[in-house]
Amino acid sequence: MPAVQNRPDAPSARGSTPAPAFLEVRGIHKRFGGVHALRGVAFSIERGEIYHLLGENGCGKSTIIKIISGAQPPDEGTIRLEGVDHAALTPITSLAAGIETVYQDLSLIPNLTVAENVALSEQLVRANGRLARRLDPAALHATARRALQAVDLPSTDAFLDTVVADLPLAVRQLVAIARAIATQAKLVIMDEPTTSLTRREVDNLVRVVAGLQRDHVAVLFVTHKLDECYRIGGQAIVFRDGQCVAQGPIRDYSKTDLSQLMTGKTIDGSRYRTGRPTDTELLRLEGFGRGEQFRGVDLSLARGEVLGITGLMDSGRNELGLAIAGVLAATAGTMRLDGQTVHLAQPSDAIDHGIGYVPEDRLAEGLFLDKPILSNMVALVLDRLRSRLGLLDQRKARGIAQGLVDELRIATPNVDLPVQSLSGGNQQRVLIGRWLTIAPRLLVLHGPTVGVDIGSKDTIYRAIQALAEKGMALIVISDDLPELLQNCDRILVMRHGEVAASFDAASAREEALYDAMTASGAPAASHKTPEETLS
Amino acid sequence: MNAPSTVVPAPTATAPDLSRGDRLKRRLERRPELFTLFLLVCLCAVVGAINPSFFQASSLFDIARSSVVIGLFALGVFVILAAGGIDVSFTAIAALSMYSVTQLIVTYFPGAPLVLVFLAAALGGGLLGLINGFLVHALRAPSLIVTIGTQYLFRGFLLTFIGTVWVTSLPEQMDSFGKLALIERSTDGARAVLPVFFLALPIVAGLTWWILNKTLMGRAIFATGGSRAVAERLGYNLRAVHLFIFAYTGALAGLAGIIHVCSNRLANPFDLVGMEIDVIAAVVLGGARITGGTGTVTGTLLGVFLVVAINNVLIMTGIPSTWQRVVVGAFILVAGAFFAIRRR
Repeated sequence: MPAVQNRPDAPSARGSTPAPAFLEVRGIHKRFGGVHALRGVAFSIERGEIYHLLGENGCGKSTIIKIISGAQPPDEGTIRLEGVDHAALTPITSLAAGIETVYQDLSLIPNLTVAENVALSEQLVRANGRLARRLDPAALHATARRALQAVDLPSTDAFLDTVVADLPLAVRQLVAIARAIATQAKLVIMDEPTTSLTRREVDNLVRVVAGLQRDHVAVLFVTHKLDECYRIGGQAIVFRDGQCVAQGPIRDYSKTDLSQLMTGKTIDGSRYRTGRPTDTELLRLEGFGRGEQFRGVDLSLARGEVLGITGLMDSGRNELGLAIAGVLAATAGTMRLDGQTVHLAQPSDAIDHGIGYVPEDRLAEGLFLDKPILSNMVALVLDRLRSRLGLLDQRKARGIAQGLVDELRIATPNVDLPVQSLSGGNQQRVLIGRWLTIAPRLLVLHGPTVGVDIGSKDTIYRAIQALAEKGMALIVISDDLPELLQNCDRILVMRHGEVAASFDAASAREEALYDAMTASGAPAASHKTPEETLS
Repeated sequence: MNAPSTVVPAPTATAPDLSRGDRLKRRLERRPELFTLFLLVCLCAVVGAINPSFFQASSLFDIARSSVVIGLFALGVFVILAAGGIDVSFTAIAALSMYSVTQLIVTYFPGAPLVLVFLAAALGGGLLGLINGFLVHALRAPSLIVTIGTQYLFRGFLLTFIGTVWVTSLPEQMDSFGKLALIERSTDGARAVLPVFFLALPIVAGLTWWILNKTLMGRAIFATGGSRAVAERLGYNLRAVHLFIFAYTGALAGLAGIIHVCSNRLANPFDLVGMEIDVIAAVVLGGARITGGTGTVTGTLLGVFLVVAINNVLIMTGIPSTWQRVVVGAFILVAGAFFAIRRR
C-alpha cells in the first residue's frame, strides 16, 4: 500500500511544472455554522484523466463539488483554473471554463425537451448568463444532436422534441451526460451516476466515459461503488473528515486500502454471514406468480436464513419481493407461512402476518423526511401506543425510538430531529428500525445500501446478521453482488420472470452470478433443477 | 463512437408503436388546449342551435370586446404561472395605475397624446409589478402570499391616498379612442362595432408568444416553472426571471386598466378587483398547470374566450345570469378532472 499521506505531491505549483493542471484546488476551507466541512483540501485534475472521488457520506465530497461547480464559495483557499487563480467560482464562470456537473438527481428540467435540456446551457453561457437574448433554434438542435450522438442516443427530431419527463430513468441519465459534454466540456463531474442503473446500463456508461477520455475530457466520479472504480480505472482521490488523504492511481490501492483510507479503520471484504439458518421452515412458495412479471417461483426459507435475490431490472425480482411483502398481489401459486396458507392483498395484510418490507427508494416510498425520527420509527405501531384517551403515549413512543436508535447505532443527538438531517446510511437504519417495532418474522430488504457509504454499509450488514441470529428470516434484493455474497446463505438469480439459478453464497463467485443474470437466449429452461455452482 | 467488443444495446429511447386511441391521448397530453377548443366549439354549437342570433356580428364582437381586458390579464398570469408562480394582485395594480394615470391626465395634462397615456399606465403597472417580483425573490416567499399582501396594499393605497370618486369626464382623446371602430357592421338597423383597442389582444399575445418561445428569457421562465432548484443550479438568473415576469404582468395589467377606462368611458377605483379568479380560471382552462412549467399562449386565449363566452352567451339561451358561475365552475371541474386524468 502506498504512503497514506501522499497528498498533493502532484504539481506543487511553484516548481518548474511544464504544463499547469487543468484544475488545482489548494487550502480550501468551508464551514457551515459550527461544522468544519472542508479543512484545507488540496488536489489537482489533469485533462483526459479519470478520477474517482471516494469517501464516506459527510466527508466533504459534495461540498467540494459545489465549490468547483460554483454553487458555493469557499471560506478560504484558491481554485486555480488553467493557471488562473480564483477565490471563488460562479455557476456561469465554472461552466464557461468547461466544468460540467451531472448531479445525482440529474438536474434535468422535466417540462423541457431533450434538445433544450442538452443545449440550452451552451446558449446561456454564450450570452454570459443574460436572458434578454434571442434563442438560436438551429444552433440548439445542432449542439444537441452532436452531444446525443456522443452518448449513443438517437438524434432524430422526434427524440429531440421529446419532453424529458416522458423518458425512462436510464435514458435521462444519458441525456444528463449529453448536456454535460454539449458545451465542449473539459471536466465532467458525475455524482453517483450509477446508483439507479442496472449492470447493462453501467456498461453503456463506461463506454461513454472511455469516449470522453479519448477527447481529452477529464471525468471526476463521485461514487461508493469501488468495483466500478476498478473497472473504469484512473486516479483515486480519497477524502476523510473534510481532508484529502490520498491521491494516486486506483490500481495501486487494494479495496482494503481504500476502505481503510476512507474510514480510518480496518474493514475487510470478507463475509459477514457467520451464522447458520435454523431447521424450521418459515416461508414456502409454490408456483408463485404474478401475470407476466414472474412465474412458477418455488421457494423455501428457514427461520434465521438470509436469502439474496438478484437479476436485471426487468427480471421480475422487484415484483417478487413486492408480492412477498404484500405490496403487489400475487395471481398464481400459494404462499405458506409457518405451514399456514396466507393471502396478501395489501401491505397491511403482510404486516399482520409479521412481514416487513424496506423499500429501495427510502426517500419516496418509506420515510417521512421532514418528520422527526421518533414519528418515523413508531409509524407502524401507533395502535399499540394509544393511551386511554386515544392519544399517542409520548413516553412509550420515545422509549421505543430511543431503544432502536441505540440498538442500530444511529448517529443523532436526539430523536426529535427530522429524518432529513441524517446521512443516507442513518436514514436507512431508521427505516429498518421501524420494521423492528413489529418484531417481524420475515423482513424483505430492497437495495439496503443503495447510496450508502462504506462505513454505514458495515453497520447495516451487522444489523442484518444480528437480526438473522435472532431467528428472523431475511430476503435481500440487490444489484450489489458482493453485498449478497457477503451477507446471504443462498442467492437466487432471476431472469425473464423465472428463477434461473440458485447459488450457495459461501462458495459462489461474482462472475458466475453475473453470467446467470445476463445469459442470453430463451427464458430459463427450468428452475426446478438449479445449476448449483460449487467450487 | 466505436463500441468495444461486447455490444450492448443502448437503452430504448424510441416511442413504441401506438394504437389510434393512444395517439389521440398522446396528442391531447401534448396539446391540452385542443380540449379547451373542443369545449369552446361545443358551447358555441349548443348556444347557436338554441339561439341562431349568436352567430351574428354583434354578439361575436361583444365577446371579442369583452375578451380584451381579461385577455391581457390572463396573458400576464400565464407567464407567471409558467414560471411556477401565481399572481392575484394584478387587478389591484390595474386599478391603481388606471385611476392614478387618469386623474393625473385629467388634472395636469388633459391634452396628453394617447401614446403617453398608455405608456404611463404600462410603466406604472410595471413598477408595481417589480415590487411583487422583488418581494417574491428577496423573501423567497410563495408568490401567492406575497401578492395577496400586495393586492391589499395597492388597493388600500389607491382608496386611501388617490381617491374614491368616479372620474366620468375623460379627456377627449381617451373618450374617442374607446369609441373608435376597427370594423363596423349594420344589421337590421342595429350597429355592431369591433373597437380598435381589440387589436391590443393579438399584439400582446404575439409579443408574449415571442418572448416565451424565441428568447432565452422565455426558456428560463419555463425552466424555473419546471424546477426552480435545478434552474438555479444550471445558472439561470432567477432574480431576473422573477423581476421580469412580475413587471411584465404588471405592465400588461396597467395597459388593461387604461383600456378598461377608455372602453367604459369611466374610471372607477372600485372596478376590476374581484376578477382574479375569473382570470386564473381562464388560464387554467387553457391547459396551463397551476403547478407551473406548462401551457401555451394559444391555450390561454382559448381559455379566455371560453370564460368570456360563458359569461356573455348564457343570457342568449335564456339561462339566468346567476347561473353563469355554476356553468363556469362546472367547466373548470370538467377540464380540471380531464387534465388531471391525462397526467396519470
